[in-house]
Amino acid sequence: MTLGRWLQVILLLIPGIGLVVFFMGAVVYIAIAQSFGLYNLAGESGFSFEFWTDVTERKVYWRSIRYSLYIGLISAFVSVALAYPLALWLRKPFPGSFTVSAILKAPLLVHGLVAAFLFINVIAYHGLFNQLMQGLGIWDEPRRLQNDRHAFGVLILQAWKNMPFALLLLTGAVQAISDDVLNAARDMGAGAFARFRRIIAPLSVSAMQAALVIIFINALADFTFQTIVGPTNRQSLAQYMVFFRDSGRWHEAAVVGVTLMGLSIVGAVLLSLLTHMVFGKRRAR
Amino acid sequence: MTHTRPLNRLLMIALLIICTIWLVIPFGMAVLWSLVDPAEPWTAERLLPPVMSFHRWEYMWTNSSLKSALFNSYTLAPCAAVLTLLLSIPTAYALGRIQFPGRETMKLVALLPLVVPAFVTAIFFTSLLYQMGLTQSRFAAILLAHAVITMPYAIRIMTVSFEQVRQDHINAARDMGASAVSRWKVAYLPALKPGILATLLIVFIQSIEEFAIAFIVGSPNFTTIPTLLYSSLGQDFVRPNAAVLSLILVVPNVVLMLFLERLLKSANPAMSSGKG
Repeated sequence: MTLGRWLQVILLLIPGIGLVVFFMGAVVYIAIAQSFGLYNLAGESGFSFEFWTDVTERKVYWRSIRYSLYIGLISAFVSVALAYPLALWLRKPFPGSFTVSAILKAPLLVHGLVAAFLFINVIAYHGLFNQLMQGLGIWDEPRRLQNDRHAFGVLILQAWKNMPFALLLLTGAVQAISDDVLNAARDMGAGAFARFRRIIAPLSVSAMQAALVIIFINALADFTFQTIVGPTNRQSLAQYMVFFRDSGRWHEAAVVGVTLMGLSIVGAVLLSLLTHMVFGKRRAR
Repeated sequence: MTHTRPLNRLLMIALLIICTIWLVIPFGMAVLWSLVDPAEPWTAERLLPPVMSFHRWEYMWTNSSLKSALFNSYTLAPCAAVLTLLLSIPTAYALGRIQFPGRETMKLVALLPLVVPAFVTAIFFTSLLYQMGLTQSRFAAILLAHAVITMPYAIRIMTVSFEQVRQDHINAARDMGASAVSRWKVAYLPALKPGILATLLIVFIQSIEEFAIAFIVGSPNFTTIPTLLYSSLGQDFVRPNAAVLSLILVVPNVVLMLFLERLLKSANPAMSSGKG
């Protein structure tokens, strides 16, 4: 390529990718710099580990990390585990399969806040679920289900919102597996689980990795589901970061923000490695 | 095959029951709650609200910041759609039509806004605005941020569209003496049209739905529909009012998304650029 051609490419890339790199680079840089005491908005700036020391000494910081990892990992695994059998069922078209697929993917069109509102309607103290449980004679009186301490509400909402996304990715991947391969395995006596473990999962490992990683990153950084239906005695990392920012403590917010970014990257890499180790190796054999 | 048919039927029935619980009941309840008349509350022992009216809809229209939230959301979204499209076109042209070393890496770099958590972007973008003293226009700040976070979708869609413009059409137009503008009109535009529409729609929907940046950068004065809904689900939670806002947020977007899906399915740039 000539110098002129390079110049043309660079000029063309500036409005799109250039803007993305500048903007996101500035955001990430500010977060890291503020976590070390720089760019102080309310006083003197100076490089310091003070904020990292201060925040990491708090129990609530570590509790937020454990809680966000719990939400991120469980949401990712549950969404993918629910999506796999459905993707396999919808692998071959059958009468009504298009409708089934459309209904299953419908939550993709519903905003997370709306999903949270619909959910709190159903689980309200005098809501439908409580009435059903009382009607069936399972519970004697209504129970308070919103803001439950194990965050089951958050996990249900995460699965409701993310399972269709995992289904979208996995359907394409399992449809690409040839019938010959599956028939050969069946002829050799492989049961349904063995076929999944030794053929389907290894051949769709890239889609599985993508679904796990993207859902993990989104659920790890959850704010809305947590603040609406999550336990009141726990804070997610995003919630903790917003708490610091709302009280004008930008440096502490930056420490939590950098932690969140770090955990996203480390978690994404570990999940990719784990799926590769469990399923990817089998493909090589 | 004979085994699978009854199994499929059974699974279909099971699924329809689950989907009733999954979609019909929650949305049905939201519609009913939005119609509850304040004259008589909907108590637990009644299956349906005793009195139904559009009172809550009228109340929200006149007494909440719904009007300004609708105005903000529906002004922001088309501006973000057009801005993102215009900014993405040169980059998509380079990625789709020019072979250069590092092209695949550039495609990956364009995905950067999708991997940084939204609240981290929102908070430290606000910090950046404070550092630069640019806090006068919340609208402009949110518009810029929306353009950046939706850029990966725009670049991806438009790159695929540019890749599918047929070189023989461009050459034929050039051989027939067409100027640059005419070549753009006859060879590029027909092939790019579905991609342009898809980009405008997807950015529009993403911008209408975006919460983190509108909430952090816009607070406390600049409200959009999601931020208004979020505040109505907090301390001032009034179920019928939240139901009205939920339906206002979800219904237009579902219609637009269904339109988008039809558009993407029918989009065949090879066909639309002439002979396939």
